[in-house]
Amino acid sequence: MNDSAAAHDDTILALDGLAKTFRVGFWGRPVPALRGVSLTMRRGESLGYLGPNGSGKTTSIKCIVGLIQASAGKVSLFGGDPGEAQRRARVGYLPESPYFYDYLTPVEVLEYVGKLYGMGARDRAQRSKMLLGQVGLEHAARRPLRGFSKGMLQRVGIAQSLLADPDLLIWDEPLSGLDPMGRKEVRDLMASLRADGKSLFFSSHVLSDIETLCDAVCILDRGEAVAQGRLSELLRSEELESEALVDLPSSDGRAAVLANLADLPGANLTDLPSGIRLLLPTAQVPELMRLLLEAGGTIRELSQRRDSLEELFLRKAVRRGEGAA
Amino acid sequence: MSTVVTQNGLQLHTSGPLAALGRVGAVVGNTLREAGRAKLFYGLLGAAVMLLGFSLVLSDLALVDQKARLVQSFGMAVVPLVCVGTAILMGALLLHKEIDRKTLYAILPKPIARGEFIAGKLIGLCALLIFELVALALVWWAVLSLRGGHMTGAIVRGLGLHAIELVLVTSIAVFFSALTRPVLSGLLTAGVFVVGRVTYLITEFLAARKGLFVEVPAMRALGKALVVAVPDLSTFAVTDPILQGWDVPWSYCLSASLYGLCWALAFAVGAVLLFQRRDFT
Repeated sequence: MNDSAAAHDDTILALDGLAKTFRVGFWGRPVPALRGVSLTMRRGESLGYLGPNGSGKTTSIKCIVGLIQASAGKVSLFGGDPGEAQRRARVGYLPESPYFYDYLTPVEVLEYVGKLYGMGARDRAQRSKMLLGQVGLEHAARRPLRGFSKGMLQRVGIAQSLLADPDLLIWDEPLSGLDPMGRKEVRDLMASLRADGKSLFFSSHVLSDIETLCDAVCILDRGEAVAQGRLSELLRSEELESEALVDLPSSDGRAAVLANLADLPGANLTDLPSGIRLLLPTAQVPELMRLLLEAGGTIRELSQRRDSLEELFLRKAVRRGEGAA
Repeated sequence: MSTVVTQNGLQLHTSGPLAALGRVGAVVGNTLREAGRAKLFYGLLGAAVMLLGFSLVLSDLALVDQKARLVQSFGMAVVPLVCVGTAILMGALLLHKEIDRKTLYAILPKPIARGEFIAGKLIGLCALLIFELVALALVWWAVLSLRGGHMTGAIVRGLGLHAIELVLVTSIAVFFSALTRPVLSGLLTAGVFVVGRVTYLITEFLAARKGLFVEVPAMRALGKALVVAVPDLSTFAVTDPILQGWDVPWSYCLSASLYGLCWALAFAVGAVLLFQRRDFT
């Protein structure tokens, strides 16, 4: 395969203005599901795909893996056409709530999938055994899937997505349907896959999982990417706010100093028994220090305030929706 | 065959005809496995066996020298009809089940082309139908032997032509299955089958001096369109000549097979083109 471009660039997945409009109803009323989503994912990166229900996460994932054809825009996988078998062989896809032939056993599912990937018989047998052990299904390896719980099916889905040792894993809601123990095991598995250098693209509603497992996120809302980038950069407060805990000497001038601090542009002051807590724009920190120096006060703690992913998500997706309503 | 070598040294044979054959073979195997578990298949097979057994009872009512002939006529009608019924019903459900149960959501993103998937499903179902035809022919042969009859070369060649017809009907069913829902695709396939069996009549009506297909312009246009768009399935219906003691020459079998397989290929290509355009939401 000619992957020279991808090798230089290290971009393994790129969406360029991806759009999808469905036609619904008798008259084929257009319903846009994706409106020009663009993103780039680099080798070894772990990207969380976030968004409220109906925001277009699964639609875009299906466009990437070829289940849905985009109305406009382009998907590039390992620097080329995602329709090519050689590129698809390097992707492990886990559908949302995976379904398999219920008359097959997990071993037979993996045997079938292995043949589709063009794996040799010995590799299929070895990988199946190893992966079923890894996802905790060795005890049910030869039981038909029809008796499996949702969580067990999810584990079969994870195993089949890992069978061909893919470079890029595309998992749609990998933690859904799992009990707390199962969630932890899958989280641990994802962490170990990251450590092995695999690239992980997954959607989830569980923000804490994304915050723990991802380097980068893309937040989708009503078919548009409303925020994306490195998690560390996105979670930095947009206004670059700082938080300071300061002590002031108990003197007659204390009230005047407090008034001066409160007058700092954009400052929010709380007088606590343990000290004075100030939230202020980072640009005002030198002024704060000057005032404290003059008043003989001290800074006990000073930190750059950081949003949680939940705050970012609420601001970017949910409140945007409220604003539009 | 080119190979993808993964990070951990696993070799994936994804390109080339051998790799494609391997993928089609995997789908064929799974289709056979799935179709072989279908209650519908065993129900129809059981019904056909019962009908063939019933011909044994019915032949008791016939004149002594007509017993074998009755079993022969009965078998010539029942075996192809049941097999065509199976082809229409199972062909109409073939893709729908995969879509409805979302099982293909985990399959199509793998390195398999949609055309390969359709080919695998089609070949798998055809293999099952030919197995059904052979099994019923054996039962029929056993029943025929009990009444002193025997399988002639013409009957065997006639069954061979029915096998080609089954392949064609299955392709038609899969074509409609790729286009619409199972009830409608079953009805459309049955419609094409019926029209295909009487295409020669429509041709005769169009060539007549008067009649509906001559006097009404819309009917004439419809008749012409049907003759062009629908395969002439009467090509494979050689029951009457066989029962009248005529032979079915090899040259006829060869040309009829070629005709049937070309039409089957055309419908299969159509099914692939339709399936490639489908979104699986």
